Amino acid sequence: MGELVVEKHTKYIVTVEKSKDSFESVVMEHLRLNGAYWGLTTLDIMGKLDVVDQDEVVSWIMQCQHESGGFGGNIGHDPHLLYTLSAIQVLGLFNKTDVLDIDKVANYIAGLQNADGSFNGDIWGEVDTRFSYIAICSLALLRRLDKINVEKAVEYIVSCKNVDGGFGCTPGAESHAGQIFCCVGALAITGSLDRVDKDLLGWWLCERQLKSGGLNGRPEKLADVCYSWWVLSSLIMIDRVHWIDKDKLIKFILDCQDKEKGGISDRPDDAVDVFHTYFGVAGLSLLEYPGLKPVDPAYALPVDVVNRIFFSK
Amino acid sequence: MTRVNPSHLLIELEHVLESDPLIDEVGFVHPSQFLVLNGDQPQTKNISEMPSGSDANASGNFWNRDHKLGISIGVLLPLYNAAKQAFMEAVERYKKELKEEYGEDSVSASFFNSLDCLENDVMKHSRALLLLSSDFGTAWNSRKQIVSKKQQLAMFVDELHLSKLILSYSPKSERAWSHRRWAIKIISRKFVNLQEIVEEESELVKGLAERSKMNYRAWNHRCWLVSYMSRGQILHELRKSKDWAGLNVADSSCFHYRARLLLWLLDHVGNCNQDANFGVELYLVWKEELNWVEGLIKRYIGREALWLHRRFLSVCWINHFATLSLNAPGQDIDKSLLTHDTDIFISNELQLFQSCTVIPDNNFEDYKAQATYAATYIMWLMKQVPEFPKVEASKLNILLKELCPEKSTIWDGLISLCGNI
Repeated sequence: MGELVVEKHTKYIVTVEKSKDSFESVVMEHLRLNGAYWGLTTLDIMGKLDVVDQDEVVSWIMQCQHESGGFGGNIGHDPHLLYTLSAIQVLGLFNKTDVLDIDKVANYIAGLQNADGSFNGDIWGEVDTRFSYIAICSLALLRRLDKINVEKAVEYIVSCKNVDGGFGCTPGAESHAGQIFCCVGALAITGSLDRVDKDLLGWWLCERQLKSGGLNGRPEKLADVCYSWWVLSSLIMIDRVHWIDKDKLIKFILDCQDKEKGGISDRPDDAVDVFHTYFGVAGLSLLEYPGLKPVDPAYALPVDVVNRIFFSK
Repeated sequence: MTRVNPSHLLIELEHVLESDPLIDEVGFVHPSQFLVLNGDQPQTKNISEMPSGSDANASGNFWNRDHKLGISIGVLLPLYNAAKQAFMEAVERYKKELKEEYGEDSVSASFFNSLDCLENDVMKHSRALLLLSSDFGTAWNSRKQIVSKKQQLAMFVDELHLSKLILSYSPKSERAWSHRRWAIKIISRKFVNLQEIVEEESELVKGLAERSKMNYRAWNHRCWLVSYMSRGQILHELRKSKDWAGLNVADSSCFHYRARLLLWLLDHVGNCNQDANFGVELYLVWKEELNWVEGLIKRYIGREALWLHRRFLSVCWINHFATLSLNAPGQDIDKSLLTHDTDIFISNELQLFQSCTVIPDNNFEDYKAQATYAATYIMWLMKQVPEFPKVEASKLNILLKELCPEKSTIWDGLISLCGNI
């Protein structure tokens, strides 16, 4: 099975960030802030955050902020909740949330809540439970949850629950492990996990483990390393993680590493990317793989970062 | 390949898009494929005769025939960079102009001219950019801003066309789907009834689902349409998606779509007093669905999607139709019939389980999968339906561990939920 090649992954993350010579890499620039979150959180979990220039990152992030208070995926791009959470998380990693005008960011997020409790992703009105999670997680990290109607936000999430115990992106939408993470994470942060049928949801989640040990995100799909995060963190939050075979999942993730050049792919022998590298390493951390910082399953940040945010004055 | 001027590439692409507004499919192709494509038919529309000296195009960077567009993968990087730069500059100038001029007391005629010009630029460049980077949200947003300002039906329809074109090669593009919903919502509010659009949208998803299996976003779009459908349309959709589902038994998303349609009917049966037959009709629709899925389960061995759909159907069947007569006393189904029905139903499910645990050939993995799904199906009903008899859980556990020892951790967890161990 081999081990986690920490040095190789560190090098991979640092170099991939700088590559701008292929269509595949430049075409992702609209979500560079998400990329920064995946890459930098991975480095922090592996204890390697000091290889990057903090000031440079922080100054770039602040240039991504829009006058509305929200963040774009890169400089000059329109703001969206998707990137606003990443900005807050990365600043949290560096213990730099104090550079933010907290109320301005919080007002931007709170302004996107609808009367039924749901959230729009931006001013153009698309609704999704992912945005509910992002709003709740961001405001919790900013300690401004009082700016929204939490009760209604929870009601909306609960209305997205399906007969199979899972959650989709809107009421009646198909259950999907990524959406389940968002709904369970938001319910965990707001102290509303009693609204989940834990046995039923746990059943659906643990049926995602395939013979290979890997997890898929929906029935009949192939295993994919990213679900090591979505499924596993959800199982931990509802206290049903003992239903899956952890050792086989660890082996599956380690088999997805590019041991020569670093990085982790969706499945063994596929091409690596930062997204899967993060979910692989974060998954291993949830599985208590030695040498990694523990990660908080709801906030998707290292536990020490979350503690620093909540226990600082 | 000779080096090409990126801004010429962009002009060329935009010219193609303008001269053939009916393009309905885009693809990125390897330069060698151009020779094959051109070899097919010598009368191919000659894109090399372009303005602004695009002599570089002699090597063929674009291909356009029968409203299909091919872009050479050799030029993607410089083309993307040129499109992005042109778009970002145009949108910046546009926003600045809006801000400056609206800040003043009187707005001059020349302002409107230059604003029109800038709007055209933003629309032109964002279209080119989105063809290359379908999730570039800022480009979609700038189009929304301009189109909502103009409030012309034709422009909203154009947006549907662009989103469809982009979905033709990027069927998972989140932004393209979301742009579509945005346009549809406005069209339905201001211009036409959404029910007219529903059919067309449904066909679009069906076509895309054919090429992109289990596409969450595509099926989600179809699920979104459900709340805008009439009862007649719901029943029509149920009939229409049946053949497709029967041919794509591993596409769990399609079965979820059917579940969504059925749930809509269940939700509306209670408040439909004027039509007493609705309850009976739904009862028959449900029964037919159960029989149909049982047939599929027996024909296509070991398909998870089919068993999960059956879980849904069964739990709703017992929970809903067993209480239906209490909720709607005027309806034709009496309680004793339903209780009887429930007994028959349960014994049928146990029989189905028994027959699926017979494994004729041990080397054939599908039979093992079938038996595993049958066992977890029964366990799931034991957990979810209090009336369901408790099959001896220890026997199920032994069976599952024989069938799939790799998952014994899971079996231990699930069996603990089934009571009567």
